[in-house]
Amino acid sequence: MRKQFALLSVLVLASMVLAACGGAAPTTAPAQPAQPQVIVVTATPGPTEAPAAKEAVLRINLGTYPDTIDPQKSSFVNEIAHLKLMYEGLTKFNEKLETVPGSAESWKYNADATVLTFQIRSGLKYSDGSLLNAARFAYSLKRNIDPATAGEYGSITDDILNAAEWRSGAHLDGSPACAAKDGTCTDDEKKAFEDGLGIKASHADGSDCKADDSGSTYADADCLQLTLTLSHPAPYFHTIMGIWVAFPAKQENIEAGGEIWWTSPVYQVGNGPFIWDVGEPFVKGDFSPNPNYWGDKPTYKLEYRYITDSAVAFEAYKNNELDIVPSAAEDLDTINADADLKAQHMVYAGACTLVFKYGLAGVYKDPSGKEYESPFKDPKVREAFAYAFDAEGYAKNVDSGLSTPTWTWIPPGFPGYSADSPMKYDPDAAKAALAASTYGGPDKLNALGMKLTFGDSPRNRARSEYLAANFKEVLGVDFTLDPIEATTFTAITKDPKTFPLFARQGWCADYPDQQNWLSVYWKSTTTFAQRQGYVNLDFDKLTEQADKELDPAKRADLYKQAQDLLLKDFPSAFGYNTANHYLVKPWVKGILTTPQDSDWPGSFGVANITIDTSMIP
Amino acid sequence: MLTYLFRRVLWLIPVLFTVSLVTFVIMRNTPGSPWDVGSETKRALDPSTQKALEQYYGLNKPAWRQFVAYVAGDFDAKGKFVCGMICGNLGPSYRVRGRTVQNIIFAAPPPNKIGEKTSAWDSRFGYSARLGLLALTIAIVLGIPIGIITALNQNTFWDYVGLFLATAGISVPSFVMGIFMIIIFAVWLHLISVIPDNWKDPRVWILPAMVLGFNTMAFTARLTRSAMLEVLRQDYIRTARSKGLAERAVVLRHMLKNALIPVVTILGPALAGLVTGSFIIETMFSVPGMGREYVRSIFNRDYSMIMGTTVVYALLVALANLSVDFVYVLIDPRIRLEE
Repeated sequence: MRKQFALLSVLVLASMVLAACGGAAPTTAPAQPAQPQVIVVTATPGPTEAPAAKEAVLRINLGTYPDTIDPQKSSFVNEIAHLKLMYEGLTKFNEKLETVPGSAESWKYNADATVLTFQIRSGLKYSDGSLLNAARFAYSLKRNIDPATAGEYGSITDDILNAAEWRSGAHLDGSPACAAKDGTCTDDEKKAFEDGLGIKASHADGSDCKADDSGSTYADADCLQLTLTLSHPAPYFHTIMGIWVAFPAKQENIEAGGEIWWTSPVYQVGNGPFIWDVGEPFVKGDFSPNPNYWGDKPTYKLEYRYITDSAVAFEAYKNNELDIVPSAAEDLDTINADADLKAQHMVYAGACTLVFKYGLAGVYKDPSGKEYESPFKDPKVREAFAYAFDAEGYAKNVDSGLSTPTWTWIPPGFPGYSADSPMKYDPDAAKAALAASTYGGPDKLNALGMKLTFGDSPRNRARSEYLAANFKEVLGVDFTLDPIEATTFTAITKDPKTFPLFARQGWCADYPDQQNWLSVYWKSTTTFAQRQGYVNLDFDKLTEQADKELDPAKRADLYKQAQDLLLKDFPSAFGYNTANHYLVKPWVKGILTTPQDSDWPGSFGVANITIDTSMIP
Repeated sequence: MLTYLFRRVLWLIPVLFTVSLVTFVIMRNTPGSPWDVGSETKRALDPSTQKALEQYYGLNKPAWRQFVAYVAGDFDAKGKFVCGMICGNLGPSYRVRGRTVQNIIFAAPPPNKIGEKTSAWDSRFGYSARLGLLALTIAIVLGIPIGIITALNQNTFWDYVGLFLATAGISVPSFVMGIFMIIIFAVWLHLISVIPDNWKDPRVWILPAMVLGFNTMAFTARLTRSAMLEVLRQDYIRTARSKGLAERAVVLRHMLKNALIPVVTILGPALAGLVTGSFIIETMFSVPGMGREYVRSIFNRDYSMIMGTTVVYALLVALANLSVDFVYVLIDPRIRLEE
């Protein structure tokens, strides 16, 4: 028996040791790129010194740990939140969401906006002190286009000459562009595509950048001009160059680190306001100011945490372990009941518009199994449901006041926002429109046994219940709730034939320009419109005109006309705008928000933020 | 015994194959794909990019070939043979581009500085395994004594206390207990922080291990109690007492040893379950383990990750059951594995 007790004791001790140990079974770090050695000297306070002041650290809960932190492969907010700290594009956005110079000090278009030339700032450096020139940006853009990268935002640079051809030609089986049977290009084919791209780094006079012995042009300090030749006029393209796809990750680091280069701070050497010091996957990421950043430098360190349980994050915030956390809908009552928390609750407009899209090309079945076409093909039915939707009641009752009703597409704060809209909540107009439709009233619609399909979650269930009750009350139309698994829901919305009768979908801005809201989403050639089955050729013409227009005023007017036309066509029941809502500690000062700060408030202007350490308890 | 062991290990092959096949069939017949993940506002994946990704991951091949490729291996685009699961290759993750499943689960985290060495104990499996072992230890160290004490003091105050604990452990969901523990120990008493800052500090493991192990502890206590009560009334116990043996010897040598068989039976699968991680506990206590990954992979339709984590789990359950069979022999000499 003593042996058994001894065994048990050993087991307990071993588990404790296992739990605490971290140094066993070491693995060697992969091959490292050459980097200047940094010696960190830590001052040790002497016995007579006063206690050290609290360090200024901004601690933010980001939620989910990113799947990738690669500029040319990222697409989610939490991924981009990392990239924005470490890198900077050619342009960037200010607090008014205007496009302003970033790493490029200026840019200009030619007369028909088919050539865009950036002048890179002289003397730019990466955080490791190495030179940053136009060739670095050229590499990043080419990498974004390269089909081997297969980034989710690869198509966003398709305006560049031959970019779409390379991206699509290289993958398609049997494509004449590439000889290999599986569609991949040979090295020669790849080089031909790459050389044909409208991307050129050069000296200011247009002469080629100088290559060193290894053939690299990255060391040429005068290589400061980046010329982008576009396949069609695209006067908005300089704005796209402010988003993460143009961030200049270093080629040698990507190659040295292989496909998982982005996982290690060793390889993430950037040109942004912060340096990634420590990355503990799924635990935290530590960042410190980049001394080589050209612009205003932050005066604090920053720490990302990855807490996915909002209740835990809320407790950590109240316990002063976090400075910024998103507020969850279920915590709103607690926040509003506490004066301090209420004062710390920051709510500002978001970057998304959510609408309830009608399925226009789907085929559905009534209770007897007979197939029927979408009743929303009738414009009057669309109009009826658009008028019947009580967006204010929805925002108040379903979204706990954390969204804003909208009757238009482009949200407030973005270029092109206009409050004018033919849409509104008008039960009488809704009933009249339904009566004037080919269905004449609710009875014929009810005979169809229409389903309200949604990706199942408690929140989506509440949303759908509200919607069904709303339409029943106003129009007398019955909907049967049809919850399906969330990923399955996304899958069926990808095919116009299976697109649900009603689908809650929307758009969050990639970049602040009307083209991103209108042309990218509603034009009949886009994936979004095609899946829904929406076609409005007049809208297409207007947006095509606007996309090419060089005069900003005329351009804005054309987009306004396009948006008005869209709204009058009732392609969806609109809807609401998201709101960003965060709890922010009072010692975090100077936050300037934009609707696009959906990762955390102030992320577009990190240098404005200060931490008043004297206030920290 | 060696023959027995060899035979049991050989049995693992058809078991793992069947688990893989069933998982593959269910997974592939569930609507949606890795490219359907995301919110209702996400940019749609460009068709040519999707095609390239499907090609990269071999999703453009027939389903049977994908399965064969996963289990045995296949030739890649460059004509090079890539060995599959039989070589320990659990395939590339669909969501975490560039990383294989075995890399995500078992590899040490990337270095933060040039030359820094990181430990495999800090892999996702390493975290789950450490937490699971600690939880199991707590479950055994507390569960068995509680079972013994409650059985020996049936219908007394101590029995009711023990039963209350055991019932609470079984009936209170871990997410409820977890948040209560956090509020009590971190927010009210400030004994620990809500979010652990450094997993090298042994103190941060205690709370998640307690919550994770509480259910197993309760189950162990109840099972020990019922087994002890059954043994308590056996003739050989009466005989032992009538021989004048000390009560301690009667309890530990004659009662407990015979009562442990059912307890050991459940502890095997419990060990496998605990070391592969718990989604709820890992989410709540921000443990960077593999339990979270398993659940996330299902929503993400990360086919390789679903297959990989299922196979690892199945392997651990099989090995745990095998270990249990060996422990039987140690506890009860009447049991022989050859039979």
